[in-house]
Amino acid sequence: MLAYGRGDPGAFDTLYKRHRGALFRFILRAIKQRPAAEELFQETWIRVIEASNRYAPQARFTTWLYTIAHNLLVDHWRRKGLSVVQLDEDSAAAAPDNPARQAEAREALARLLRAIEALPAAQREAFLLHEEAGLSVAEIAAVTGSGEEAAKSRLRYAMAKLKAAVDDG
Amino acid sequence: MADDPKISQRYRELPREEPPRHVDDAILAAARRAADARPAPLVTPAGRRRWYFPLAAAAIIVLAVAVTVQVERQQRDVEVAEAPAVATSAPRREEPPAAAKREVFAPEPKPAPSPRQPSADLQKAPAPAAQAMRAPAEVSGVVGKLATVSPEQWLQGIADLRRQGRHEEADRQLAEFRKRYPDYRIPEAMLEKVEKR
Repeated sequence: MLAYGRGDPGAFDTLYKRHRGALFRFILRAIKQRPAAEELFQETWIRVIEASNRYAPQARFTTWLYTIAHNLLVDHWRRKGLSVVQLDEDSAAAAPDNPARQAEAREALARLLRAIEALPAAQREAFLLHEEAGLSVAEIAAVTGSGEEAAKSRLRYAMAKLKAAVDDG
Repeated sequence: MADDPKISQRYRELPREEPPRHVDDAILAAARRAADARPAPLVTPAGRRRWYFPLAAAAIIVLAVAVTVQVERQQRDVEVAEAPAVATSAPRREEPPAAAKREVFAPEPKPAPSPRQPSADLQKAPAPAAQAMRAPAEVSGVVGKLATVSPEQWLQGIADLRRQGRHEEADRQLAEFRKRYPDYRIPEAMLEKVEKR
């Protein structure tokens, strides 16, 4: 990232390739809508590019990147009318079954995906930051601006619900 | 800890969605445009010549500070010389607050700490030379002026614009703020003041 900030475009390509898949899946599974996910994904990287000459490696690049993504997610949820408190509440219903998805995936995987989508937004985000970005509880807390105990709780609840869904049936 | 290897393994078996090619292309093109638009470094910071860059940066900082101090000293000398002639107008001759006065002559009061530092200390000026070079551009215009204050002050300024009903200006400022501080977490209470309802 520092190399890119000094004007090396190849450095950005390397960084982008390393993080693009995980970041995209994080955003997509956090908001569950592909067109909006593509937009937020692109906006995240645009902000990275615009802030690149101010970047200082005082935290992992991954933490910085996902903090930017998290802020965009929060803006997205706010536009949808969700308050910060509501991000911790169960969503109304799981996403409807996608027949094409069920045809392709094994039933347990389909259950897992539905269970992830059914998690409250904050728990889903904590889980995805842990699984896709490989962040620790402390880093999840830093990205989401919550305390470590709150981050640990959200992750624990998310794992418990997903375990129940995967073990079920 | 909340790790569950079984969940992690199942998760990794899920389809690995990827962004579409046109999104990749747009992002990489934007990155190249931004890199092309940046001024080239003074020297190539590699190999045995790596020490040139910090030395040049240090020399620029020393020069900038020396010029600033000299100008301030000259200004004070002028004010002292004029003081006897305007003894009755004491408020006007009082020294303005140090920070505000420095802002007139040196938008970047010191290399560190800069008033533009966000509270989340993930962002700092990348190099003192680049910071000094950016200073003249940043004092021009309303956006430039606001960019020299702290993020909290900037947000308060945006909240004031909203309160005054100047929503277009507030929208512009907020967009600029988000570009400058993409990882700054705006507290909920402040968000309600700066976002359009």
